Amino acid sequence: MIHFDLLKIGNSPKITTAEDVRADLELDKIIGIASNKDRLVAETWLEVLLLRDSSEDIMRYRQEAVKDALVNREAVQKMYLLAREAIEKARREVFIPRLDDPTLVVYETSKGIEILVDAVEKLLTILTSAKFSSKAFSELMSSLTENIDSEFISSARNIAKILAYGEGIDFSVNIGNYNCLKNPVLLVPKERNSLISKILSIGKEYTFSIDPRDEAGLQVLADIKRWVLSQIATTMLNAYNRLRNFFEDLAKQLSFYIGVINMNDFFEKIGLPKTYPEVNPRKLSFENLYCLSLAISTLSKPTPNTLDSDVDGSFAILITGANRGGKTTFLKAIGQALLLTRAGLFVPAESFIIPTPGAIYTHFLREEERRMSYGKFEDEIRRFRSIVDSLKRGDYILMDESFSSTNPVEASIVAENIVSALVDSGINVAYITFLHDFIYRFTNRYSKKTVLLVPERLKDGTRTFRLVRGFIQPGYAMELWRKISATLSYSTSPSPTV
Amino acid sequence: MEYKSILGERGRAVDEQVLYDLRISELLEDILGRERDEFLRSLYLEPLNNEEIAVFRLNVFRDLMRNEVYNAVENFVEKIRESIDYIELEKEAYEQHKLGLHLDAALSYIEAVESFYNDLKVLGIRSQGLLNFLNYLQSIVESRSFRLMKERAYEAKKARDGIKIRVKIIGNRIKVRRYDEGEDLSAIIKNLFSRFKEGEVEEVKHIRVTSEMSHIHAAILEGAFKFYRKEYEILKRFMEDFQKIVDDGVMRFAKEVKFYLTYVRYMKKVMQPEYLFTIPNFTCDGSINVKNFYNLLLLRSGRVVHNDISTDGVKRVFVITGMNSGGKTTFAISFGQLAYLSTLGLPVPATEASLPFFTSIMTAFPAREDPRESMSRLEQDITKALKILKQANSTTLVIANELFSTTTSEEGFQLARLFLSELNRKRAYCLFVTFIPGVASIDFTISLVAMPSPEDPMKPSYKILPGSPPSEYMAVRIAAKHRLLYNHLREMLR
Repeated sequence: MIHFDLLKIGNSPKITTAEDVRADLELDKIIGIASNKDRLVAETWLEVLLLRDSSEDIMRYRQEAVKDALVNREAVQKMYLLAREAIEKARREVFIPRLDDPTLVVYETSKGIEILVDAVEKLLTILTSAKFSSKAFSELMSSLTENIDSEFISSARNIAKILAYGEGIDFSVNIGNYNCLKNPVLLVPKERNSLISKILSIGKEYTFSIDPRDEAGLQVLADIKRWVLSQIATTMLNAYNRLRNFFEDLAKQLSFYIGVINMNDFFEKIGLPKTYPEVNPRKLSFENLYCLSLAISTLSKPTPNTLDSDVDGSFAILITGANRGGKTTFLKAIGQALLLTRAGLFVPAESFIIPTPGAIYTHFLREEERRMSYGKFEDEIRRFRSIVDSLKRGDYILMDESFSSTNPVEASIVAENIVSALVDSGINVAYITFLHDFIYRFTNRYSKKTVLLVPERLKDGTRTFRLVRGFIQPGYAMELWRKISATLSYSTSPSPTV
Repeated sequence: MEYKSILGERGRAVDEQVLYDLRISELLEDILGRERDEFLRSLYLEPLNNEEIAVFRLNVFRDLMRNEVYNAVENFVEKIRESIDYIELEKEAYEQHKLGLHLDAALSYIEAVESFYNDLKVLGIRSQGLLNFLNYLQSIVESRSFRLMKERAYEAKKARDGIKIRVKIIGNRIKVRRYDEGEDLSAIIKNLFSRFKEGEVEEVKHIRVTSEMSHIHAAILEGAFKFYRKEYEILKRFMEDFQKIVDDGVMRFAKEVKFYLTYVRYMKKVMQPEYLFTIPNFTCDGSINVKNFYNLLLLRSGRVVHNDISTDGVKRVFVITGMNSGGKTTFAISFGQLAYLSTLGLPVPATEASLPFFTSIMTAFPAREDPRESMSRLEQDITKALKILKQANSTTLVIANELFSTTTSEEGFQLARLFLSELNRKRAYCLFVTFIPGVASIDFTISLVAMPSPEDPMKPSYKILPGSPPSEYMAVRIAAKHRLLYNHLREMLR
């Protein structure tokens, strides 16, 4: 059996909140570049980016194939084109509107098999002239050359001829219930009637013809023919489906690499760095990581971010501070890079090291949740709950202003409960939040696991859109109060802390 | 040996008004489903005249409510039907097919009778009805004619199975010859393409648009028989020698036993852990003790409440009062249906059911006010009541719903007392639904009350329990809630 697997998707389903992740991390922009308006490429990329399962091995397997596809880009493009054209030609010329007309199905599938067998022959030529080195592409090549030879191609063509339109049928049959005919088996026709075989069959054959005016009789005859062909029609249809499925499979798997080629071209055009990520259970580290979707929107290199942090089982990145400082861009950059990493793709950074190839989930504030009400809060909690159901150790959850639909005091308690539980369960969290109680208590309790980031501001107040490490400053507000009071020479009793 | 009916005896036709009031027709729609057999339908409309027949039927149910027995009987009926269908088809068929149809009718029949006999023998059946039929079957199976038919049918089938021909169709010419050898084209194709992974698996269907037993088929068979002479002779002789196939008694059983099969099928559809059926037990001391009965019709639209009803037989008149829409009428109808089913000899929807065998069930439901009707509704009510009293005896069940409500409640009470006293004197049974609470305190009655829901006293629980009619009313409770009762008002206005 022909076997190849350029993607190693396995049985992985989509992550449960795939649509949220897709929207929150602006995947459509990334996919838009990869697909260059090819719908199949877009579908495949979306699928691969949002798979629930991945592993370091799968990641490496794809990385190798990605590199291979970039080296052999012409062969990949030719094979993809061939597969797509073969499918398209079959779709145009093979017309099977219904499955209850065996005669039609047999004729049409004969035609289809002929078209696709021609394409198989061409595919072999392209493959054998390329120089693939990755496991994925080598397997495709060896499996095809082992299973397809010229004998297969001529036998398949011969069958298409036997069953072509206008040929007679020859079958064996038994007598069953109510003396009806049963178990028809279509047979390979005997050689054309020679004079000798005619003489030999005298007395051994009972022949009759249906009067052309006997319309009912002719209808019965056509029906018998359909009946006999129905069994082989299923076989032919499934043979044709196997062939078509082969090309569809091939096209789908190759489409991922067509996206790779397109994305590579985009990186080169913009001048984004390209790195193949690594996994190190004790590290979360990246250098000049760019937000890909922002680069696509602006067609330029946005401000990159750098981070180097040790990881002990799991981590929490808390991001806080002034708006429009690049917080959300940072969160998206990480999320996108994580997704690209799991898919085996290169990432827009100088280097990218992550502790696990876990799945990525997002819980971003929705505009309609910005108003405070317990109803909204319950919606938010419900949405969070649906994510929790699928979280596993080593996964990542990216949160943007979660739990802002209730007052910060109780939201902090909720957030502290939830985030502590996540981190203690080995889930990695990156969370943009303004919940001060939460940030204060959490960073104190989880100082070793937490990175606090704030937008950078230069001394003169300029925003750099870069995030830097921030620090908790207890009593800072009081301090500030006092300071400003002093500056203004205004004396009050200590005001209640906020 | 003569066949004895599995139904025991037939009953008498039910009163149309009862059918309507107790919604028996709707119940029958559910029980019969798509079954349009008039004979079967009529059986469900005939209450039995005596208890023994009901018990006879219930015992058959006791056997049939065991899955093994039910499956065996159903299978048997199905095969007998098949056999009869073949014989019907024979009438129209070409000679070449007749031979086959006749043989298949015989084969189905033989298989049906033998396997059913063998199954039934070891299933430990206990009902007289099925035991009678088992004996009858034994006499058939052991008869010489049956054994001979079987032997010859098997011989004929073997001959037919040996026929294999090769047919070639080119244009409108058909060539038939004895099959010798050939290569299966389909197998070759399967093998050739198996190197590709399975794609979408689809099945091409052939929907026959012409007969399978046409003159063309007959002609092909004609060709086949030319090369298989001996086999043809065997088939032909079988048909000539065994003209009649299905025994008359077997045929009648297959028809009559559907009464049971239909109901068992219906019970299976309804039954869940909380919705059970039980075999009713007929009491001779006049007592009633029915536990967890429920309304089969309401079950169509969701969950329903279970209720009990009981009496030692001294008091026989139940007066049902209580909150509006509290399930009073449903309770009365449900019990009426249950009683009706028991008089047909059918299992009933309850977990336990002891009750008298009612020789008649009568209903008195309010008539719709009809301007063309010369009598007023009160007149009609009284007429109904009196007609009932005339016929009532100690094995009568009367279901009365809001009778005498189109007069003052004092007069209504008087009428009710009269009616019920009479029924009581005749020792008849009655379920009397009313909103006149006084009726419930008549000394020979049993008072049942529709109870409010314990969680929300504004809503019904649909539980009907023994007790006095509520002393406090819903409207009063609502007034109290808004502090508008006497003491509240006094306090506020002070």
